[in-house]
Amino acid sequence: MHVLQKHDQIVSGIDWSAKSNQIVTVSHDRNSYVWNHEGAEWVPMLVILRLNRAALCVQWSPNENKFAVGSGAKTVCICYYEQENNWWVSKLIRKKHDSSVTSVAWHPNNIFLATTSTDGKCRVFSTFIKGVDKRESKAGTSDSKFGEQIIQLDLSFSWAFGVKWSPSGNTLAYVGHNSMIYFVDDVGPSPLAQNVAFRNLPLRDVIFVSEKMVVGVGFDCNPMIFAADETGIWSFIRFLGERKISSSPSKHGSQFSEAFGKLYGQSKYGLSNDTVEPSRADGVIHENCIKYLSTTLLPSIYCYY
Amino acid sequence: MAGVQGFVEADNAEAIIARIEHKSRKIESLLKQHKPVEALKTALEGSPPATRDERCKSANWIVVHRALMAIKDVEGMFSSLDPEYYDILMKYLYRGLSTGDRPTCDQCLRIHEKLTERAGLGCILRCLADTVNTV
Repeated sequence: MHVLQKHDQIVSGIDWSAKSNQIVTVSHDRNSYVWNHEGAEWVPMLVILRLNRAALCVQWSPNENKFAVGSGAKTVCICYYEQENNWWVSKLIRKKHDSSVTSVAWHPNNIFLATTSTDGKCRVFSTFIKGVDKRESKAGTSDSKFGEQIIQLDLSFSWAFGVKWSPSGNTLAYVGHNSMIYFVDDVGPSPLAQNVAFRNLPLRDVIFVSEKMVVGVGFDCNPMIFAADETGIWSFIRFLGERKISSSPSKHGSQFSEAFGKLYGQSKYGLSNDTVEPSRADGVIHENCIKYLSTTLLPSIYCYY
Repeated sequence: MAGVQGFVEADNAEAIIARIEHKSRKIESLLKQHKPVEALKTALEGSPPATRDERCKSANWIVVHRALMAIKDVEGMFSSLDPEYYDILMKYLYRGLSTGDRPTCDQCLRIHEKLTERAGLGCILRCLADTVNTV
């Protein structure tokens, strides 16, 4: 087992590239390191992100020649490797976000990047870099220049988190802090958006298991499955964990039921003071909020906050 | 924080207040016919008014409050209330709870309990997180 120690503050984002076997980490210390496995050791290489606020999230691009970093400086850094100087260069997408960038996601074409922010919006940008990316003849990417905004989605009245593209890149999903999940098809000039509200606590991250199925994780500590039917309408299906009726609810659950019990117990009409049973699943494995979801390792790894 | 974008005033305040008064008359007649759930639905429709004007919001609240206090059978109400009304009802319940008036709070608390059972914590979250469409 290896301990990768270099950052001074909380490591807020991590991603492992499967093909090139590199790990990229970003931290609240405004730095990023790319770790290479040399022999028995993991060797870090500092990346000058040029941020003056914490880095919050990171993701390798599909071709693993770039990675994107979202930050509290309302900027996104797109980093690519320059062979001649043996370092990673950071190009900034600035003045496009009104608040912290909470999550980034790459489109399969390695050029489009979706971002979510605490300003409630989800945006898609082009990250085309001359010398790193090749111009495709497809209409979608041929005219885009670096940092150009393709689309802005203003569906949430609350902070937005956890954006992901479907495997084909046709559908975008992201979550809001208002217990909603947004699905957008045909991302482009005329997108089709669906707002799905659900009963539970907000999600923080999502992942596409297939073109028509999404798993979301968040404050309920119990992954939720959403799926699209034949007509393309998305809805909540069930929780991932089994619903076991256990006599001792998780620590989190009992705190809620006690609070509700006290609240309703004070009504003049003499409701009983028994605790109100929480209606959430009791097959809870996680004690704390699940913040990130990744399929780097099969089947998936959950990162705890 | 979520962007407080420039809010497009759909109508001027007078037009909105006129609509609310029209709603109020309809609600009174529904209550006389002992249809409290219909009255509540009518009150919740078109809410919150698409404006920043506090008078309009207060006028709408008075109308909703009238319909809320007339509800006697909370369980029965939920069996005929469509889920699309849950989020907006929750917002008004919190407004009611903030008044501090004993009968209002009791009523709102009773409805809140049942609504949370039905709509879940997500409904409360949506009510709290939405700083744009306040009631």
